[in-house]
Amino acid sequence: MNEVYYIESGKLNDFFNQLKKSYQVFSPIVKEEGQQEAEYYWENLPAGSELIYNAYRTIQPLKSFFTQPYEEVAHYFTSKEIFQVKQQTIIFGVKSCDIAGHKVQDFVFLEGVDVDSLYRLRRENIIFISSDCTDFKKVCHCLAWDIMPYPTEGFDLNLSPLNEGYLVEVGSKRGNELIKAYEHYFTPAKETQIASRKIKRDNLVSRLKKHLLPQNLVSKDTVQGLVRQGYNLDTWKQFMLTCVECGGCNLICDTCHCFLLADKPNPGMQEPDKVENYQNKKVRVWDSCLYANYARVAGGANPLKTRAQRLRNRFMKKFDFFIDNLGMPACCGCGRCIEVCPGKIDIREVLKDLAKRLSVNSK
Amino acid sequence: MKNIYKPVEALVEDIIIESPTIKTFVLKPKEDFSFKTGQFIELTLPGIGEAPFTPSSDPNIKERIEVTIMNAGRVTSLLHLLNKNTTVGIRGPYGKGYPIEKFAGKDILIVGGGVGLAPLRSLLLSLFANMDRYNKVVLRYGARTPNDIIYKPLIPQWAKIRNVDVVYTVDVGSLEWKGNVGLVTTILKDLPVDLTKAVAVVCGPPIMMKFVTLKLLDLGFAPADIYLSMEKNMSCGLGKCGHCRIGRYYACKDGPVFTYEQLKEIHDIWD
Repeated sequence: MNEVYYIESGKLNDFFNQLKKSYQVFSPIVKEEGQQEAEYYWENLPAGSELIYNAYRTIQPLKSFFTQPYEEVAHYFTSKEIFQVKQQTIIFGVKSCDIAGHKVQDFVFLEGVDVDSLYRLRRENIIFISSDCTDFKKVCHCLAWDIMPYPTEGFDLNLSPLNEGYLVEVGSKRGNELIKAYEHYFTPAKETQIASRKIKRDNLVSRLKKHLLPQNLVSKDTVQGLVRQGYNLDTWKQFMLTCVECGGCNLICDTCHCFLLADKPNPGMQEPDKVENYQNKKVRVWDSCLYANYARVAGGANPLKTRAQRLRNRFMKKFDFFIDNLGMPACCGCGRCIEVCPGKIDIREVLKDLAKRLSVNSK
Repeated sequence: MKNIYKPVEALVEDIIIESPTIKTFVLKPKEDFSFKTGQFIELTLPGIGEAPFTPSSDPNIKERIEVTIMNAGRVTSLLHLLNKNTTVGIRGPYGKGYPIEKFAGKDILIVGGGVGLAPLRSLLLSLFANMDRYNKVVLRYGARTPNDIIYKPLIPQWAKIRNVDVVYTVDVGSLEWKGNVGLVTTILKDLPVDLTKAVAVVCGPPIMMKFVTLKLLDLGFAPADIYLSMEKNMSCGLGKCGHCRIGRYYACKDGPVFTYEQLKEIHDIWD
């Protein structure tokens, strides 16, 4: 089992501000408006700020620290490299769903045929100080994919709130080095404290189960069969009626990774032979499989011509492709895509509709 | 640190006009660049963008790479406006090429459609370099009209090579045309191949590949012996950008050459 330490509430804030002296530190800020659920956003707060504990995940996806909506990824025909080692970054308030979703990003950018060096550099440079969820949003459904609302792996340090302070679990060598460097803030955790962490965790899990049970969600074991057997159902057409093709669901998704690789337009385009006018830069732009031109090839052929094909493609990628290639669905149950959708397309409802139609058909 | 998105410079040494819509670009890379037949490259037109192409030249020739390109889209239409001695970028090579080591001792049926003959030329040249390793090469090629036939001076030369059999056709003839008229499937009858040791390699537009594949299955070719070059919008070339998914595969890293056996259970592969 990982080592677990204890830190008092007041000292956690000191620790946070000490870290700010040596690291770039992102932590949640909170926005509360009327009766709405509180919303958390990551920000790089000024020194002396108070560390806010987010009860559940932020609005931004974790992936936004690793790839950006639009960024230069290469300068070519030059020996100049754009990779620079920046100041180390610490992110507070990473949640279990973020970590699960991030496995997909790691798989895409660190594994396979070749490594994306820019991604790797950022991965090596960013430290996660994650934390247990103490509440959930209406759209949260991590448990449906067997993801617990508290991190069990993939973090450097993890915070669990107790009544008077926090337990700090060490999840990596880097996490251990942080504890050693700031050891005066920490004491070894007592068995009773670890027991009370378990009580708090179990408590939230049972509250979340109670929230999810009436929703009758599709499970991890059956989802791949559903999307495969449901390939020709009307579900896709029905749910696509309200899609405005904004791409929000993809862009805010912690697992979606598709991008366009494009050239930065050259100022001297009207004289294409004038090499000296060229900028010669490749840019990477987040892409969405709901966009009409996502799969179009030269000459105009488009394997994802219809809107229903594109919605289905999103689900086949998440629940068929990634289960085959990574052994897990590319959904972490964070519900960001549900909240962002102006057409109110709900990933849970799409899957439930497939299940419903298939069970009717089999009768 | 290696940057997977960074192309290397290549000089356009020569441009050969193959048909009214197709040109071959002879590229001289400024750094060592080699590929296996059937692998593809990403060709950058600086400031415009990239597109994937399978080289049409002999992979044993390392100094130069030839790419035969049809004027079909945004990047290719601008490529067709290029003059000699301009600089382009190339990345790659990517994907799995033709497994020619598996073709030893076989009757190799090669079926091309339109500009689909370009990757197949690279394959043919690789095979011709060691014809004693293979039993027979049978080429069947279809173009839309006589004007659309590419590699016109080369095809008669290929036909003269020992154990090479060439037949070609056009969909629509002309007054001067004395050759075959009809879709490429019409010249797949009475093939001089021994099905017990034959493989088929198909490259062309999706609709042509579909009907050729159906014909080959009908003739008795096993799905595992039919090799298809799948056209998708490969962009990064490395299975990261997501665009070229076919079922559980990416065309860029698991293809672009697949056997029909790999694809037969996947929906809508010909779209």
